[in-house]
Amino acid sequence: MNEGALSKKDRMRIELAVRKIDWELDGRIPRARRRQILNELRSNLIEAAQHTGGEQAVRQLGDLKALANSYRELYRGRFDIRAGAFWAFIAYVAIQLLGFALFFAFQAGVAAGGAHGASYSFEPWPGFGPFAGKVSASGNTFEVLLGSPAHLLIVCVAFAIGSTYRSVLAHRRA
Amino acid sequence: MPIPEPQDGVHDSQLLKGVLSLALMRLLAERESYGYELVTRLHELGLTEVQDGSVYPALGRLERDGHVTSRLVASTSGAARKYYRLSAPGYAALARIERAWQSLVRALEPILAKPVPAKPKEALP
Repeated sequence: MNEGALSKKDRMRIELAVRKIDWELDGRIPRARRRQILNELRSNLIEAAQHTGGEQAVRQLGDLKALANSYRELYRGRFDIRAGAFWAFIAYVAIQLLGFALFFAFQAGVAAGGAHGASYSFEPWPGFGPFAGKVSASGNTFEVLLGSPAHLLIVCVAFAIGSTYRSVLAHRRA
Repeated sequence: MPIPEPQDGVHDSQLLKGVLSLALMRLLAERESYGYELVTRLHELGLTEVQDGSVYPALGRLERDGHVTSRLVASTSGAARKYYRLSAPGYAALARIERAWQSLVRALEPILAKPVPAKPKEALP
């Protein structure tokens, strides 16, 4: 029996399972290793499908996420780009939330001080960020800093730590 | 956590996970095999609960640890098969693990041979 004997549906089932695992591994283990894993998996699935059918062959793999996790544990690269991106995003959101909290406190202070005319700005570290804002005396218009050298620096640090801390911990445990 | 009721032909998955590497190394000591073939060989031995998804990473682990080597062989099914064989350190590791397993079985046998009392004895004051 050869691959040609597999139905289109079975081949699609197999490819879908392989792609699901690829999605879980993407950016988490080195590309060359990932390709080896997927090729071996595809070869075994085709073989299994020829004996038991595509649906059973995929079912026999068990939970695809758990399988991908096993491979991740086994071949973890030095960098987990996805985890790095996640922590960089979290760091950015945290900076902005803190920035907004500081800004609203400043705005409340301006209002409480009985401000009149023009606009008021705060910028603890001029030109560096990450916190800076401007509010009109009426409080109707305001500006908040969304990007700055400090934003970039913090996001980069969060990415670096987020993408490597697992491999560092695993290395220490070993 | 309740312990599942043992049935004929059903093996505890945690126990199986613990001895999977030993079983794979033992099968590879007999002959070179690829992933799916090893799964079917395990199933033929009665270990039908072993899932393909636990065998393939286990083979990867054995290869990473240097216990097995692999080579790609073109197959009629289309994609090349990855054949595994036990390496020299793998044979040494297999012998060591087999000794440890035999020793564990010997240690457990006297305990398991005793009939289970209906009620455990009270501790002496």
